[in-house]
Amino acid sequence: MKFSENKTGYLLILPSILLIFALLVYPVTYGIWLSFFKKHSFFPEQRFVGFSNYIYIFTNSDFWQSVWYGTVYSVSTIVLQIIVGVFAALVVNESFRGRNFVRGVILFPYVIPTVVAIILWKWLLNNQFGLVNYLLVAVGIVDDPISWMGKDHIMTSLIIISVWEFFPFVVLSVLARMQSIPPVLYEAAKVDGATAFGRFFHVTLPQLRNVLFVVILLRSIWMFTKFDTVWLLSQGGGAEKYIRTLPVYAYMRTFMYYQAGLGSTLAVIMFGILVGFTAIYFKMFRREEGI
Amino acid sequence: MKSTVSFGSLRGQLIYASAAILVVMTAFPFFWMVSTSFKPLKEIFVSPPYFFPKNFTLANFARLFEQTRFLTYFKNSIFVSSCAVLFTMILAAAGAYSLTRFKFYGREKIASLILFAYMFAPIMIVIPFYVLIRKLGLANTHFALILAYTAFCLPFSLWLLRSFFQSIPIDLEEAALTDGAGRFKAVIYIILPLAFPGIIATSIFTFILAWNDYIFVRILITSDELKTLSVGIADLYNATVIDWGMIMSGSMLITVPVLIFFIFVQRYLIAGWGAGAVKG
Repeated sequence: MKFSENKTGYLLILPSILLIFALLVYPVTYGIWLSFFKKHSFFPEQRFVGFSNYIYIFTNSDFWQSVWYGTVYSVSTIVLQIIVGVFAALVVNESFRGRNFVRGVILFPYVIPTVVAIILWKWLLNNQFGLVNYLLVAVGIVDDPISWMGKDHIMTSLIIISVWEFFPFVVLSVLARMQSIPPVLYEAAKVDGATAFGRFFHVTLPQLRNVLFVVILLRSIWMFTKFDTVWLLSQGGGAEKYIRTLPVYAYMRTFMYYQAGLGSTLAVIMFGILVGFTAIYFKMFRREEGI
Repeated sequence: MKSTVSFGSLRGQLIYASAAILVVMTAFPFFWMVSTSFKPLKEIFVSPPYFFPKNFTLANFARLFEQTRFLTYFKNSIFVSSCAVLFTMILAAAGAYSLTRFKFYGREKIASLILFAYMFAPIMIVIPFYVLIRKLGLANTHFALILAYTAFCLPFSLWLLRSFFQSIPIDLEEAALTDGAGRFKAVIYIILPLAFPGIIATSIFTFILAWNDYIFVRILITSDELKTLSVGIADLYNATVIDWGMIMSGSMLITVPVLIFFIFVQRYLIAGWGAGAVKG
């Protein structure tokens, strides 16, 4: 086929490009611009303040606290998601009866609305009437019901819920790759006398390297910027301060204190942290063969 | 093809046990939601809890429809998500066709821009987006939501459809074109039927993304009658005394459409992800 109809090609992609620029790229740029202004979220007036938003943020202990909580949250949920996700993928990659059913069911948490996930878990973890506390006390693991939404345990609850909600993403990606590992490799390893563990570490894992590279990158970006799960869990428990991650802090600055300038500054810093992380990550782990 | 593992071997038993644990872990919270939503209030707070309702009731659903605007939220969600899917698919199908069937300057750059945009998380754009929408006077309209979802879903829909289109052999089209069919006819009679499963799958992923969204509605919509389900139900939950039975019945009704759609496209998921089928 002759590809001489360049114009048609441009015309077909143009609306998408315009929309992406107008509604994604432009707002991000506008956000960078806003971060140098003192700006109320509702009223139009704004005043140029140079770097003072940044100075204010960097000298604010709430900011550093939120960076810390965000890091704890992202690192622990990513590690656990990868472990649970790879394990689940290994299981559903086997052939057993009811495999398709299991494959479908374990993806459920990922497709339901986050609001539903949070409500479900708040009910399960309710300290008076929740099933989890009832079982823990009945089995004798704890003597008194645990206050899952209290300040000591809310981060743990958040991590459990997030791993539950997002590990299916890892299953999906890893399973797709596992299915394309040539069986010959396993047969060869078997002939060489490798145990099941040996086969996992010397055949499966190296083959998953590239997909895990991408999965960890995407999960890092999306966990570090996760807003709804964290925000919805923090509502109404009285311990919201203890899971105030960077996205929640940026939201609060903008929509509760109406400081759109400071909120934008926080979003820009978040973006900067991610760009820095991505650069370092690529330097450290990217191999020649490419992704 | 591997043979089905036997229940007799230790390995087989380990696999079945692990699979059972995974199913309980993921499905039990849903079972509990369904069970709670059919229980009368007395049974919801009983200790030890009943796994199944003893006196099956629809009272929770009745309260949900009588005392709240659930139906309005439901209609809003359907409307907004469907419009978002429609716009996204028109733009993405045209774009993906262009990216796979035409060679032009900057094509690869456009593809990388799309991949870059795919990684954006809502929180990175909502603040300036909100300020802009207010400036345009579009705050508190469904149109603003539809714009937001279309823009937000477009990169991953484009990326996904691009891979579906790539898998359609270009020879088929060439044959049609040499036979004298115009490009438009070739697209209608050859490409669209072949790409149909991909278009359906992509539409459903877009729909789920829009249906599940919380943050854009929270920020862009202030009137109660314009809210969609996510925010509607979250606000019911945060209102004074929590009516667990009613909340659970509402949660169940929000989840059902998503799960039905999901079961429908499940088989495309694993094949599709290689190209970024899901996000969030």
